[in-house]
Amino acid sequence: MKGPTRLVNAALGAVMATMTAGAAFAQDPITIGYSIARTGIYAAAAPSQENPYKLWQKQVNAEGGLELPDGERRPVEFVSYDDQSNPANTVRIYEKLITQDDVDLLAAPWGTPMHLALAPVLQRYKMPMVGNTAASVQLRNVAPGYIWFPTSAIPDAMGAELAKMMQAEGVETAALLANELPYSQEFRSFLIPALEEVGIEVTVDESYPPDVKDMTSMLVEVREAAPDAVVAMTYPADSFLFAGQARELGIEAPFVMSLIGPTIDAYRKANGAGANGIVSSAHWSSEADAWPKGQAFFDAYVAEFGEEPDALDSALAYMSMEILQQAVAEAGLDPEVLRGAIAEGTFDTINGEVRFDGVQNVVTPTGFVQIQDGKIELVWPEAVKTADFAPKQGW
Amino acid sequence: MDTLLSGQMLFAALVSGSLYALVALGLNLVYGTLRLLNIAHGDLVMIGAYTAFWMISLFAVPPIISLVVAAALCALLGWAVYVGLFRRMLAKPELAKRVEANSLILFYGISVILQNLAALAFTSTSRGYQYLDTVITWQGVSMTGNRLLTLGIAAAICFGTILFLRFHLFGWGLRAVIQRREAAQVVGVNLNRVQLLTICGGFAVAGVAGVLVSMTEQITPFMGFPFTIVAFVVIIIGGLGNIGAGVLAGFCLGLVETYGIALTSPGYRSILIYGLFVGVLLIRPEGIFTKAVRS
Repeated sequence: MKGPTRLVNAALGAVMATMTAGAAFAQDPITIGYSIARTGIYAAAAPSQENPYKLWQKQVNAEGGLELPDGERRPVEFVSYDDQSNPANTVRIYEKLITQDDVDLLAAPWGTPMHLALAPVLQRYKMPMVGNTAASVQLRNVAPGYIWFPTSAIPDAMGAELAKMMQAEGVETAALLANELPYSQEFRSFLIPALEEVGIEVTVDESYPPDVKDMTSMLVEVREAAPDAVVAMTYPADSFLFAGQARELGIEAPFVMSLIGPTIDAYRKANGAGANGIVSSAHWSSEADAWPKGQAFFDAYVAEFGEEPDALDSALAYMSMEILQQAVAEAGLDPEVLRGAIAEGTFDTINGEVRFDGVQNVVTPTGFVQIQDGKIELVWPEAVKTADFAPKQGW
Repeated sequence: MDTLLSGQMLFAALVSGSLYALVALGLNLVYGTLRLLNIAHGDLVMIGAYTAFWMISLFAVPPIISLVVAAALCALLGWAVYVGLFRRMLAKPELAKRVEANSLILFYGISVILQNLAALAFTSTSRGYQYLDTVITWQGVSMTGNRLLTLGIAAAICFGTILFLRFHLFGWGLRAVIQRREAAQVVGVNLNRVQLLTICGGFAVAGVAGVLVSMTEQITPFMGFPFTIVAFVVIIIGGLGNIGAGVLAGFCLGLVETYGIALTSPGYRSILIYGLFVGVLLIRPEGIFTKAVRS
């Protein structure tokens, strides 16, 4: 009996060894590197981007991994670092990711300054990266090649579109309150001429510092001017303050916009029904029937994190990973081939079709959302809206 | 001019001022008695804010009750910091001489630890909740319930503390430690007890301020730093270690900010606040109210 037993054992051993080697080969992960602001001034905004990354990773791995052109699937592993909200750190981290960690792919950091700082690094190392949470006209000055921006919330286009939307809603006078941070000021600089062009009179135009703690004097001025529209070019922290104090002072304008903030889950929790009717900047809504993947993303996000995704940053972050996933399935991991696939491809995302010309997404229309019954509805532009704009009825 | 003289502006100035005074009160108590520069003071405000958020979100406990919980939690932290870090340092004269500079570094470390622990435990995601946001209108002044509550509680704690220091025996002992540390010991003030209770009280007040702030602002692990800055500005304007003057300076800053912005532009906020701060440092480095209060 000894001989056959040995033979069986040897055969089993050989089979096991082959299986283990095969398993090891199949399990060899694809590494995706990124930095994110886990600490510092942007830290509160970063989870709205990192959560979609984590959700996407979980979903892809549950399906067996990231698909390559030959049909093979390999699990995704993230290599990430905290950039402490400092663009100089972002540059150093991505250089490390590319040269030392030797990651296969890159995902984007949070925010415009980080993206702008990173563009030359990507060019130098010839590593493609789909950006997401960046929005500035400066993005157009970035040399096309290795970075792309899926956003359509670029301030010049937004200024023109918002003026059109306000005109369509019968707005004749507007009060503008703008945070002094760059994105708000850039938006303001394009909005004012756009409003003039459509004949909307600006009756109040105030800028305020990012650390503002009280808006009473500004809002008393707005209340006295009684404009048809109040456009508050907020960041998240002051969006809470604006809503609370506009409610206190009973601002009655039927068109109230708060630039960044209202699409954050916590904003609606803090303001309840008072948030209804507020317009904000985003070009995605889970309510859109035309983008069926959107609702699935929304539901999965809520199930995973117990809160709603940010209609702007979370949607963009997830879109960037969808684009990367589809490009990898088409082109594989070779950076140059992948670059070509992203630059020339057309992608199916939660925000519909995306295609790039140079660095910019040329398909997704610039839009605006409104909170209606606690939900984020896309109310502009006409072609993709999920609900009609509803004038704000009190706080 | 009508706007300037309106009750609405006065209410806004008093709410801001009372909050500044409250945040600065805790810092001033700790600096006055222990000579500790608590750079982590704003992070205690953050802990208070998270306490209120989790209490209402998980257990439906209203912030008015969370005030007590946050105060107790921060007081406990104060006890741990005092017993674990500073008691021995303050007891040895050669170490006590350097405690002010050392405390700055130690509290910086504590600040980083607290922020990152909060980020780890709660994530950096913004939080917020709705509480008492009904608008009450009285004599033409519109007030949300939560801002009215902030004004009431902050002012009560600030002026209650001043009265306590003026009329209670422990308050006398505390003021004696602030004014003449060694002499206070000579006349029988239990220095260790005063220091321990003051650090617990100072931390508790910051926790209470955090609960009040959480009713109107977004809550994040990194929300505390601006409060640390404001608290330092207030106590330097009022006079380091001068409790009553610090409270007055807090209200003063609220008035300067609100009316200054109304007279100029919101863009001048930082110039107004830091202009006042630098002006006081240049003209009366001991604080603008120091003499008036002592006399």
